[in-house]
Amino acid sequence: MSKKILVVDDSKTALMMEREILERRTTYQCVTASDGQEAVEKAQLERPDLVLMDVVMPRMNGFEACKRMRQQPGTRDIPIVLVTTRGEESYMEAGFQSGCNDYITKPVDGAELVALLQSYLGE
Amino acid sequence: MKGDKHNRSGPSGGEMNDLRLEAARKRLAESKGQEDAIEGLREIVANFIGSEEIVLFKVDRRSATFRVFWSFGIDPEDYDLPRALGDAGLQHVMRGECHVEPPDHNRSNAVAKVKAFIPLRFANQTVAILAILRLLPQKVGFDRSDMELFKVLSDQAAGPLFGPNAHSSAAAGGSGIRA
Repeated sequence: MSKKILVVDDSKTALMMEREILERRTTYQCVTASDGQEAVEKAQLERPDLVLMDVVMPRMNGFEACKRMRQQPGTRDIPIVLVTTRGEESYMEAGFQSGCNDYITKPVDGAELVALLQSYLGE
Repeated sequence: MKGDKHNRSGPSGGEMNDLRLEAARKRLAESKGQEDAIEGLREIVANFIGSEEIVLFKVDRRSATFRVFWSFGIDPEDYDLPRALGDAGLQHVMRGECHVEPPDHNRSNAVAKVKAFIPLRFANQTVAILAILRLLPQKVGFDRSDMELFKVLSDQAAGPLFGPNAHSSAAAGGSGIRA
């Protein structure tokens, strides 16, 4: 059975692109959410193998969504990779404090993204 | 470049570029009105080019002025387009050519000084100019794939933004700047 990734971004463009990369270059199944609140709900429902999530989003940002997922038994062990425009160390530190496993910065490099996902999920 | 599920390595630079161009075209074409087109433009610049300081100037041909139509991440009142571009640069952009300022290597923050001015064309005329004023720190400069994306924006953004099907509800105020 193919691994499932929950891709979360409020940007339709980013979702379109990330989904396209995953569908063309991996066998992972892709489900999407457009803000942190929806991500927390979908993660409970879908139980993905990994969450790839933007940080700056309406309703609930990626840090908060990450914390919520870590508090819930069904989602606390799911690897979470945050995607952000900000690459400063302090910002990344805040991400790790919220419970994320990894970080990738925009503009997303497709090869880097696939390699990172494969490092968690295998091919 | 069609999907090859057996090739599980990441997309090559060329394929990644094609994906970006395709996604940008699709996002612009699927825009639902002017506000959504503006959001699409912001998303494309942030996600694919790597900038969060953008100003969109609307060209008023009758009065030969530029008006700030929309901006993101910058106070546009502080920005003088004709002075930034100079006469030659402005004419270049108005003729439909992108104008990219190379990094100033004499400055310590050279990357931050890279700028691009993209004419948005509709019916063979430059109807607006998109100014990208600063890159994200992790983005080292513009490359060839960015130029190809600029061309897509130049050819395909003005229709959803200002064409017959665009709504003008998102039009931001702004002081007129003389051309």
